Amino acid sequence: MIAAMGYEHILLELEPPIATLTLNRPKVLNALSPELIRELTTALAELDADENVRAVVLTGGPKVFAAGADIGDMADRGAVDQLRRDQTGRWAPLAGFSKPLIAAVNGYALGGGCEVALMCDLILAGETARFGQPEINLGIIPGAGGTQRWPRSIGKYVAMEVMLTGAPVTAQRAYELGVVNKVVPAEMTVGLAQRMARQIAEKPPLAARMAKEAVLKAFDSPLTEGLASERKSFYFLFATEDQKEGMHAFLEKRKGVFKGR
Amino acid sequence: MATEVEPHTHIEFHTHDGVGLIRFNRPEKMNAIGALTRRQLGDAIKQAERDDAVRVVVLTGSGRAFSSGADVTEMVQGAGMRTPEDVGNVLRNEYMPMLVRLRTMPKPVIAAMNGPAVGIGASFALACDIRIGTPESYLLEAFVNIGLAPDGGVSWLLPRLVGTGVAYEMFFSGKPLLAADAHRLGVINRIVPLERLEEEVRELANHLASQPRNAMAGAKRAVNHALESTFEQALEFESYLQEAQAASAEFAEGVQKFLARRKG
Repeated sequence: MIAAMGYEHILLELEPPIATLTLNRPKVLNALSPELIRELTTALAELDADENVRAVVLTGGPKVFAAGADIGDMADRGAVDQLRRDQTGRWAPLAGFSKPLIAAVNGYALGGGCEVALMCDLILAGETARFGQPEINLGIIPGAGGTQRWPRSIGKYVAMEVMLTGAPVTAQRAYELGVVNKVVPAEMTVGLAQRMARQIAEKPPLAARMAKEAVLKAFDSPLTEGLASERKSFYFLFATEDQKEGMHAFLEKRKGVFKGR
Repeated sequence: MATEVEPHTHIEFHTHDGVGLIRFNRPEKMNAIGALTRRQLGDAIKQAERDDAVRVVVLTGSGRAFSSGADVTEMVQGAGMRTPEDVGNVLRNEYMPMLVRLRTMPKPVIAAMNGPAVGIGASFALACDIRIGTPESYLLEAFVNIGLAPDGGVSWLLPRLVGTGVAYEMFFSGKPLLAADAHRLGVINRIVPLERLEEEVRELANHLASQPRNAMAGAKRAVNHALESTFEQALEFESYLQEAQAASAEFAEGVQKFLARRKG
């Protein structure tokens, strides 16, 4: 394991073909300060470009995922200050991450923390996990996609409840709603997410990338457009070495070895 | 009535040798639960959960009763429960966190039922993991006798312990489930004479306090997870818990001891 240097608010463990990013401000429940967000998105951009990395785990560690934004930093800011901060743009390396990204959530994932989890592709929750958007209690609303990603994932009514009451939902309820893939014992969450990442990392990476892109397309395009896009990606994959390897390995009853070519 | 304004301890809480003992301490009122009792009980339960020195929790009463339930006199006089909405708020904001904590804290909780457990008092006994009673113990869902429906989680707990038939009979009739029947149905694990109750519970609590704590916590977490999941989900959750436990010092020590015993 190589712990990459140069980060203060996050930990990056590179264990190719996977990497684990840990939000690391435990004293403030991993509050998402501008510095932490900058480090997180910088690290994600690096991992996206690193050919040796095929899947990534994002976690807050054993106790808490992230209890939200740094309120101290926001309390006295004006509308224009916030606009200049470019909420959408600064999260682009996370929302647009091209490789499978697994959130391992223990404890609170609140506000921005919850939105970060929702931007991942799979969510593994410890039994202690709590997901919520308490922004309304502060006179604001979610600002990193919460109002859009919740209803697209679970429908309107429970999403409204989450936004309007500010009350968090338990891991088990989140599982029943389909926001969480699995509820597991809290001490196993990160390890299982890494195991899952390793399994996914064995798959042909271009197919994983196209699959992810296609599923995300379902959230923001009409069906005909999504289907057309899926079709093009499907054709494209026949131009890859991994498709030849995958199909021949299947016919020869052996395990395929994929290069991402 | 100078005694009324004296600071009064409605709940006693002591920890000794890994056992946290929480005792209802209003024997003159059959351990009725009022506003002050709720606050002190809530604090004691929270402390028992958080304190690592507490490996096992015992909940019991003083005097003749385990607890006679909500302090109805106080309710009628309007202290803290002036409106129907107050009644609901006390249930949601005060009783609910306490009962959830008892059922989910990762350590064994034993009810030493020194006498009757009525209404919300029965809820506290039933939210414990294990119950030890005396021939004089009984459980009574008295709500219907004053025109109320069941609360304190018994609509969930009792059907799981005794089945819906017996639970409904208790809810509808307002008649007690006596010690012998409760024991036969498995609600009370065993019955001992009152003069032996303390010793019996102490022995059990001391034994559990010497058991591997994470293994016991795992059992409680698995059961609580299983009660909300399918068979397959329960099997999977158990398998992950077991992986964590198999990596623990408790398991390494347990295996060593087991092998040493076989050789010896």
